[in-house]
Amino acid sequence: MTDEGEKAYNFLILCSVMQNIALSDKGDATEAVTGIWHVFLDPEKTRGVLVTKFLLKRILQMIPVLLAVSVLIFAMIRITPTDPIASITRGKHVGEETKQMLRQEFHLDKSPVEQYVIWITDALQGDLGESYIHRQSVNSLIGERIGVTVGLVALAGAIALLIAIPIGVISAVKRNTIVDKILSVLSLIFVASPVFLTAILLMLIFSLHLNLFPSMGTGSLRHMFLPALALALNMVALTSRITRTTMIEQLGSDYIRTATAKGIPRWRVVLTYALKNALIPVITVTSVQIGSMLVGAVLVETVFAMGGLGGLLITAIKASDYPLVQGITLLLVFIFMCINLVVDVLYAVLDPRIRLK
Amino acid sequence: MFTALTGHKALFRSKKPHYGKLFTPTVVISMAVLLFIVVGCVFAPLFATHDPNVQDVIGSSLALPSAQHWLGADNTGRDIFSRLLYGGRTILMGAMGVVAFSALVGIPLGLVAGYYGGRIDGVIMRICDVILSFPSLLLAFIFVAGTQSRGIGNAIIALGIVYVPMLTRLVRSLTMVEKNKIYVSACVSLGYSDLRIMYRHILPNCISTVLVQLTLDVAYAILDLAALSFLGLGIQPPQADWGNMLNDGRAFLLRNPYISLAPGGAIVLTVVSINILSDGLHQYLDPAQTELPTFKKYERRANREAKREARKAKAKGGVSL
Repeated sequence: MTDEGEKAYNFLILCSVMQNIALSDKGDATEAVTGIWHVFLDPEKTRGVLVTKFLLKRILQMIPVLLAVSVLIFAMIRITPTDPIASITRGKHVGEETKQMLRQEFHLDKSPVEQYVIWITDALQGDLGESYIHRQSVNSLIGERIGVTVGLVALAGAIALLIAIPIGVISAVKRNTIVDKILSVLSLIFVASPVFLTAILLMLIFSLHLNLFPSMGTGSLRHMFLPALALALNMVALTSRITRTTMIEQLGSDYIRTATAKGIPRWRVVLTYALKNALIPVITVTSVQIGSMLVGAVLVETVFAMGGLGGLLITAIKASDYPLVQGITLLLVFIFMCINLVVDVLYAVLDPRIRLK
Repeated sequence: MFTALTGHKALFRSKKPHYGKLFTPTVVISMAVLLFIVVGCVFAPLFATHDPNVQDVIGSSLALPSAQHWLGADNTGRDIFSRLLYGGRTILMGAMGVVAFSALVGIPLGLVAGYYGGRIDGVIMRICDVILSFPSLLLAFIFVAGTQSRGIGNAIIALGIVYVPMLTRLVRSLTMVEKNKIYVSACVSLGYSDLRIMYRHILPNCISTVLVQLTLDVAYAILDLAALSFLGLGIQPPQADWGNMLNDGRAFLLRNPYISLAPGGAIVLTVVSINILSDGLHQYLDPAQTELPTFKKYERRANREAKREARKAKAKGGVSL
């Protein structure tokens, strides 16, 4: 069972890595890696300049993709032609004159192409338009709630790494023992458990039965802890398996044998020598994980009735509030792309084989 | 020393190769569990004890598990066990639909991109890039938002679109490896059409890897469909499905947790089984991936064999090495 589970993980990891390569905005992995090589190998320039140059190049590459994404969002949300005036007036009967006025206010009298151009030019200047149902600017709506979502994802990411890496190291060091097997069965279960189920279970146990944490709302770290844990557990399952696999690989390599032969204490060999090298693939996979956490946050916020972007997005979708859906989606895609960018840079900075030689 | 050696000899003489087998114990167990779930769901009308949508507010609202309601009843008195079976039918069919959609679109796209390369490849890959820059389910959300009407059909298409790029990339990379092999040149020199080469010759050589990915996708599709329904964007009530059942039970966690836990457990069980099955399939189709047992295990087994040999030798009255 456990061996099978572990292999399933290796396969999942492979998929995640493939997805990460796919997500790096570039055609394939080799291209992405050589791109980084060119930046770091140039011996005449200093590293700081090179990193800036690399960053600039990547940011420039982001722009066409982001534009295409915005077109896709805009078109897809209007797949079924409907008159959004109904959601602006919230189904109330209003006079034809008022309707005309509202149409003008929201640019609905113009063609879709014109509407897109207006939306995207405003968006590029940082204005995401006005919400149909809230009659408030999308910026302020997002601004009020983004703190909760970003805080949730950040806390979840931190918890996940704090739990996952020690677990991964322990199960690599205690490989094939009962501890390792229990941990691998647990992660097999957690990876198959949808985030909202984990959230409901945690809520049932820790807030409804044990009364340790509040079951809904936001405001304090205590409110944030359970949702963040729910979000984190899924990631813990995957990340700890990846850490385990790479740690085992590292622990079997020659430099570890040399270090051990020199008489360096076992814990130092494991923690400072092997772990440092094992962390690089972990970081790569983490970026994909954070992407799914952004969407996972939507689900967890629903369970814990937190006033984050998730609730806002879902109500906007149900009410056909186009500007709000567009705004939130574009923002989430943008955040996701930025995370991928940071991870790519981190990857290059952390792996000396990429910049030295 | 010598006994260990005889043990190792005996070990390799007696044991069948233990890799490249499909029916390992874990795979058999997961297959049995899956079969159980699938049969239960497909023949839901036969096994269900109640009509899944008949309400009985006065008689059995929030009833706990009993002989009448095996898993209890929800707030409107609908039988959870029956809803679980019908819901499973919806979600399993939905997941198959998602995978079928992504295969029907993704495989041809990947074949064409990989086989022709050049500009077609560039265009297809850029489209994939754009779709992949959405974090997981977000694109499915806005597709559902755009289509106005909710339901299983839209949920299937929405998720199908999300799943296509990964499959396209996989098929493309496999095709790019295959197309440089000699049999393809042979086909070209025989004058076969591109379509025939792609579907009759290249695809069958990639299909094993694709098949593994597709089974894995079924598991993901179940999770994602449940997530959509949980948010009220997928299958609509009163039609039962594991995601919206989970959501229904949220308000009554203290009075009857089974409303949420039963579908939740069903999801986990199904997804774990599919993951194990998919992995077993992966190893069967690609034995090189199989990790052999650790040396310690071999040693222990060898010692056992050695003892057995020694015992046999003693029984015969001969002298062992």
